[in-house]
Formats: sequence, C-alpha cells, structure tokens
Amino acid sequence: MILRLILRRLLFLLVVVWSASSIVFIIPRLSKTNAIRERFAELSRTGGFSPADLEKIIASYTTQFGLDEPLWQQYQKYLGHILKLDFGYSLNRYPMTVTQVIVTAIPSTLGLLFVTTVLSFLIGNLLGALSAWPKAPRWVRAIATPFVLLTGVPPVIMGVLLLFFLGFKLQWLPLGGAHTIGIVPDGSFSSYLDLFLHLVLPSLALILGSVGGWVLSMRGMGITIQGEDYVNFAEHKGLTAKVIFRDYYLRNTLLPQTTAFALALGTVVTSAVVVEGLFGLPGIGQALNSAIRSNDFPVIYGIVLFITTAVAALMVAMEFIYPLLDPRIRNQ
Amino acid sequence: MVDKLNIPPAVYMMHRRQFMMGTVGALAAFGGPLSAFAVTPAADAATAITPATPLAVLPRTSQLVLGWSITSPIGVTNPWAVPGYTHQEGNALMWEPLMYFGIFKDSYIPWLASSMEYTAKDFTALQIKLNPAAKWSDGKPVTSKDVVFTFEGQMKNDKLPYHAAFVQFVDTVTAADDHTVNVKFKIPAPRFKFEVLCEKFDTGIPIVPAHAFDGQADVNAFAGGVAMPHSGPYDLVAWDANQKIYNLRADWWAIGAGLMKLPDVKRVIISNLGGQVGQNMDTIAQRIVNNEMDSALDMRSSVIGNILAKNPKITTHTGNKSPYGYLDWWPNSLWMNTQVAPYSDAKVRRAMSLAINRDVINDTLYEGAKIATIYPFPLYPGLQKFVDSPEMKALEAKLKPGLFDLAASAKLMTEAGFAKNGKGMWEKDGKTVNCTINGFEGIHSDIVPVLVEFLLAAGFDAAVNFGTNAYQNMADGAPGLYMFGHGASLKDPYAAMELYHGRFSNSIGTPAGNNRFSRYKNPAFDAVVDAMAPLSSDDPKFHENAVKAMEIYWTEQLDVPIIQWLHRIAYNQTNWTNWPTASNAAMGTNGAFWAQSGLLVVSALKKA
Repeated sequence: MILRLILRRLLFLLVVVWSASSIVFIIPRLSKTNAIRERFAELSRTGGFSPADLEKIIASYTTQFGLDEPLWQQYQKYLGHILKLDFGYSLNRYPMTVTQVIVTAIPSTLGLLFVTTVLSFLIGNLLGALSAWPKAPRWVRAIATPFVLLTGVPPVIMGVLLLFFLGFKLQWLPLGGAHTIGIVPDGSFSSYLDLFLHLVLPSLALILGSVGGWVLSMRGMGITIQGEDYVNFAEHKGLTAKVIFRDYYLRNTLLPQTTAFALALGTVVTSAVVVEGLFGLPGIGQALNSAIRSNDFPVIYGIVLFITTAVAALMVAMEFIYPLLDPRIRNQ
Repeated sequence: MVDKLNIPPAVYMMHRRQFMMGTVGALAAFGGPLSAFAVTPAADAATAITPATPLAVLPRTSQLVLGWSITSPIGVTNPWAVPGYTHQEGNALMWEPLMYFGIFKDSYIPWLASSMEYTAKDFTALQIKLNPAAKWSDGKPVTSKDVVFTFEGQMKNDKLPYHAAFVQFVDTVTAADDHTVNVKFKIPAPRFKFEVLCEKFDTGIPIVPAHAFDGQADVNAFAGGVAMPHSGPYDLVAWDANQKIYNLRADWWAIGAGLMKLPDVKRVIISNLGGQVGQNMDTIAQRIVNNEMDSALDMRSSVIGNILAKNPKITTHTGNKSPYGYLDWWPNSLWMNTQVAPYSDAKVRRAMSLAINRDVINDTLYEGAKIATIYPFPLYPGLQKFVDSPEMKALEAKLKPGLFDLAASAKLMTEAGFAKNGKGMWEKDGKTVNCTINGFEGIHSDIVPVLVEFLLAAGFDAAVNFGTNAYQNMADGAPGLYMFGHGASLKDPYAAMELYHGRFSNSIGTPAGNNRFSRYKNPAFDAVVDAMAPLSSDDPKFHENAVKAMEIYWTEQLDVPIIQWLHRIAYNQTNWTNWPTASNAAMGTNGAFWAQSGLLVVSALKKA
C-alpha cells in the first residue's frame, strides 16, 4: 500500500516536471531576444565594442547549438536531455554549461533563502501561537507585535534600510557580497563566521518582513482552537499548560501552516531575484534574472526545472510528514 | 501521548517506517537533480578556481579592489572563448597587444611590438618587429609564430571578433624571422594597424600563445583557466562567484625591457557586484565611500556627485568638478530604422533633432558642461582637429545641426504630410510618430526621460522602453527610436561614417549587422565613404571626403546625435594614487580599468 502511495506520488512528480518543462520550453521561444546577441550588446554597453561580424558569429553558434532546427525537433532533443539532466551550454556564458551555472549559484541561495524561510516559519509560528495562548507571558505577546507591523515592508525596502543604517552609517555589518573581499573561503571557522556576518543583513531583510505573516496566520488559528472541545477537555483532565500547548494547541494549528510552508518554499526564488541583486549575492535568483534578461533559455530551462522539481518533491515529502502531525491522516 | 493510545502500536510503528521510507524516497527525488547536475559531463569551464595553497596575506595597501559585475563564465581566460570571454573583468591584466594607443596623447605605445610600420605607400603591406624581450608567463619567448598563429586564427575562425576585418583586408601573414612578421593586405588598409592591432578602449586584439592551443579541438570552447600562458603581469589565482583574484608576477617581461617599473599593486581583486553592469549603483557607491573599493564601474551624474561629497579622498577624471568624467568613444544618438516610414523621411528625422534642446541637457544633467553633441564621434585630439577645420566650421554654420527650434520642427512635419491631432501629437493616416525610445535603464535612466519630454513637447508620440527586448528591437529595426552609441571613430571620422555605409544596410526582416541600426542606403554617401577608405587621415583628399560625408550625415539626419558619452569613474585615493586624470595624463590612455588598456592604468598606480 505504501509502495503504491510512493509510486503514485512519484508519478505525480513526473507529470508536474513534464508539464513544467513543456511550458518553460515554449515561453522563452516566444521572445525574439537572441542570447548571443545580448551578450555582445552587454559588452557593447559597457565598452562600446561589438565585433565586426556579429551576425556571422551569431549564425555560427545558432548552427552549433541546433537552434536553426525545427522547434519540434528541438523539443524532442530537449526532453531527451532532461532525462539525462543535461541542459547543455549556456548561450550567453558559453562555454559554461547550465549545470555549472546552477552548481555555482545554488549554495548562496540555499544558504540564505532556505535558511531564512525555515527560520521565519519557526519564529513566526512560535510567536503566533504564543501570542494567542492566554497563558503566555505578556512580554512574549509584545514581541510579536512589531513583526506584524513589518509585514507590509517588502524585503527590498527592508534591505535598503538595513544596508544604509547598519552597513553604511554604523558600519556594523558588510555592505554586500558573500564574504570579505580578497578572502578565499577555505572551510575554516573564520571563513564560516565571515560568511555568516555577510548573510546577517540579507537574512534580516527577509526574516523581518516575513515573520509577521506567519505570526498573524498562526495567531488566528490559535484563537480559533482555544474554544474547541478537545482543548477544554484536556484542561478539565488536568493536563499541564505546557502539554496542552504542545500536543493539543500547537499540533492542531501546525497542519495548515506546514502546507503554507511548502508553498512558501516555492516563492523562495522570487525573493532571491530581489534580495540577491541588492546584496550582490551571486545566487540562483541572480542567475535566473540574467538568463531571463538575455533570453538564455537553456539556463532558464535548467533553473526553472530544478526549482520545479525541488518544490514538487518537497510537496510530496510534506504528504509523508502530515501523518506524523495529524493522526487522523495516519488512520486513513 | 493521548493520540498514540488510539492506535495499535504495531500500526503506529508501521506508519513510522512507512513515513521514513516515504520521506527518504521523496528526499531522493528532491536531491536527485542536485546530485545528477553535479555529475553531468561539463564543458571546459569551472565552477570555482581555488588556489592550491592559501594565498599569501597582503596588506590592504598592496591590494587594489575594483568593483564590477562579473558576467563571464568562471575559468574563462582564453580570449578566443567567444562569447564567454571578456577583457573587462580583469582578463585585460593577463593579455597584451602589439601596441597600445594613448588616446589623450594621440600616440602609439609600442608593447609586444617595438615597431609596426606600413612598408608600402598604398598601405598594402605592414611589417611588425617584435620586442625581443617579450615572454609568456611560462618563460617561453613571444615570437613571430605566435603573431602568425593569432592572425591566421582570426582569418580562419568565423567566431572570433575580428574575423571579418582579417578576411576583408589580410592576404598573407608570414614570419620573416623569430621577431619579424610581414602582413600583406588585399586592399589598402591604412587603419588596420590602429583599429585592429592596437589596443585602446575596448578594441584591438591581444596576441595569444600558439603553444597554448596545442591539442585543442575547439579553440572557442577552450576556457584557458589559470594554466594558460599569457604575457601580462597578473596571474589569475582565484575565481568564484564572488570575486576574481589576480597576483602580480614579478618576472613580467616588460619590467626587464624597461617599459614599466615593478607595479606597486601586488594583487588585484575584482569584486563581483552581481547582476548586470549598472545595477545597484547606490550600494556600490556606499562601498566606495567606505573605502571597501578603490574604483568601480562608471556612475550616473547624480551618484558620482554624492560619492565626492561623502569622501574627500575620492576624485574623478576632472577632480571634484563637473562633468566628473572623460570622453568615452561611445557618443549616443537616437537611432532609427531609415528604411521604415515615417523614419524614412529625412524631414521627420530632422524635425526630431530640432525638438532636442541640447543646452537644457547640458544644464540639467551636466551642470553646464558641454556634453550634448552634434557629432557621431568623440572629440579626441584627431577628431577635434577635424571639426575645428575651416571647412567643418563653415558646414556647421550653414546647416546648424544642433539647432533647437520647435517652429522649424513643426514646419518640417507639416511638409512631410503630418498634422497635429486632438492630443497635440503629429499624425498621418491615423498614425502618430512612434518615438518610444528603446534604451537601457542602468545607463540611460537620466537622459532618456529628458528626451521623451522634449519629443512630447514637439508633438512626437514618445515613451520609454527599458525592457529586456530593447536591444532586440534595435537589431530588428522595430518602430521607435534607439538610444545607443557609436563605438567607431577614435582618430578620424572614417569608422563612424562607415556605420552608415549601404553594405551594412540590411533589409527589413534581417537583424541590423553590428549595431548599424540606421540601415541607411545612399549610393552617393557610399561613394564618399569608399573614397575615404584607402586614404590616410592626413591626406587632403580624405579630409575633403570626410567633410562631404558629414554634410550628408547632417543634411539627411542619419540619426540624432544627443550626448558625448562620459565615463564618470570614482578613483579612491585612500590607498592608491596616480590614476589617469585630466591633470595627470599618465600614459595617455583612458582611465577605465576594465578597458583593453586597463593593464597600463593598474600597473602605473602608486601607493598612497
């Protein structure tokens, strides 16, 4: 039975990936922007140089990359390459492969955005639950309020403010980049500390703006649950407040939040485009942004499919986590 | 726990195992892509270059930190790895040309070649004498073989940037001896030495080592990496997504040859600003003001003024006075596709030019400095001499190319068959004049909105398009105007005039070749340009034809010249001095560290 469930979910994953890959194949092809021409345009704008035989170079690479073949043939090849997880060369950054673009960019994004999303979720939900819990200390409830107020501030505005005050004016924290200029990360404690210090501001920009959302939704659910019969019953059974909070209150409010968390992970890249740009972090958002700007579609394919697959896989994983959180699902 | 009591233990345990299995399966699916990506066969490029041993710790005063948006693939140092390679992100510190050209001194700077002379009066033969002291970083000498290899590579490989120029001009390249190369041209090539063989701004070719390409099946896919022998003084030692690091090689041949002293800059760090060039200027400005960086990309006028106000140690090409920069070789015009109505009508083009108030541009954007222009070339010494000639002065007085006159503009539009509609916009056959200006936010956000207001005030249906399709629109000849530069003339007007030659006038439906967006076609103009081609710029016949070409340029209004392009670069003098400025011409090159001549800028810096 469990095997059938896993197979069904993996099949679902495959359908999602195939659908996404087909959509993502078509959309960049609707644009006439040529990635190789854009590369030279980029160079041209910074120095004015464009090779004398630009069109010839473009034509040569068009043939090399098979872009002059009929679209359906390109689609067939593309699907074949997906099966091998090989997206070929970046058109804009040749001879770099798409895989290399992703492998170069992914640590920065995972390090920052994944962690901040998880932290926002944990902090926000805990604060939200406590702020609705009548037995929670007042000071805990007071902490939640400022986060709620910051909910409307987009990460980019928050980032600019943090950069200006904490980075530029007070010079407490670095203004950008993933580590101190000139330092080559060597895996030592000091290089991790350096990395941590560089990630504080972008992390704060993301966390401060997003914790409030979790607080609000968790608080709302917490208030709803307070009047439920099973909570009253637990109280009358004489269970301690700690047990009631953990096993009756928190656990029941967590299920919809977990679903929202999985969905939030899907929007990680949206934040990445903005925050990585502002803080000069060379992550997946920056890579995708550049690829879209230059219509470097192999890179777009690679990144979008990577994200789609990862998020779809996480959603599947969530389905296996639900039974742990809610016994009713287990019984089904 | 209460809920556990409701479920038989066996079932509960079973579920736990199932959960573990399921989670592992799902995580495998999640992790699969990542691990598979990591093992996919890759090209000859890296995801990071790290030094085999930790880099020696150097004081900040020995390190030059430059900010730039690094866009090239990690590990690409091979100048022939097109289109990934660019000299702009530090690679210019590794490669050298036969000669540099000091634009502000209007003079050649012999480098790998000690001399390079035309040996035929009609410019059909050139002899190159190499500096016998020149060496590659692996200790091997730079010889004629390398020059022949470089030239023949350009001739044979249609992906290389100067392939067209070599095919057009070069007949044969032969090595007379280890240090002498003879080039025979098919047709007179009076500008080949300057345009192709000298490095200045972002043009010219570096000489590559023939032995580095041994065994390379595809020279365009060969990244080069750290091992590639090069002749420049700096070795690439580290490169990741955040930065590139170059260390000085003390045995640089140019020191022994007496061309340069041992540079003070022992290490150059190109810090990746991320994104595309021109983005996040505010953060970059903050990093310069805080002395984190010594210089960075060129700035818009509002930003550079703020930088100077915040840190007195920071200067520009013109010190702390407007216009804060030097002339780049990229004067910007409003281009348009002259094959498509209504831009095909010279009266409409002229009417647009008459709507532009260049004095207001100077006052509002450049604090009164004369940056607005009427020329499609920068006024460097050779070109300044040309425009100062009596013939050009007379032509300018006659045609008044910089005139701002809304009444004259309206008259021309009426003559062209347009009438103003209810919204005050010129209209013909129910269509207004599409004057949407395609441009690039990072570099045009100050000037383009001003131009839009001028055009709207004169009745042209103007708007801004800074979208990602802007450049493609230019290449496709889409309706609208294109804010773009002329990367062409430096010494004489030929290259700028050649941009409008009919042979580049691609038909509608095909991309405009090589930024020749106007697609202008006029046999009379072509004849004048053709007459200029075989002549040296000091030939009176050349001058005569150049004036004729300019007459057609202005009369026909091939595009609307707007501004000279400025490089407003912040030079932080906290750690480094001797930046090339108006008061310190240094070697005569422009002061952009990212230019082909950036090596001369960096290696001449002095400790503060």
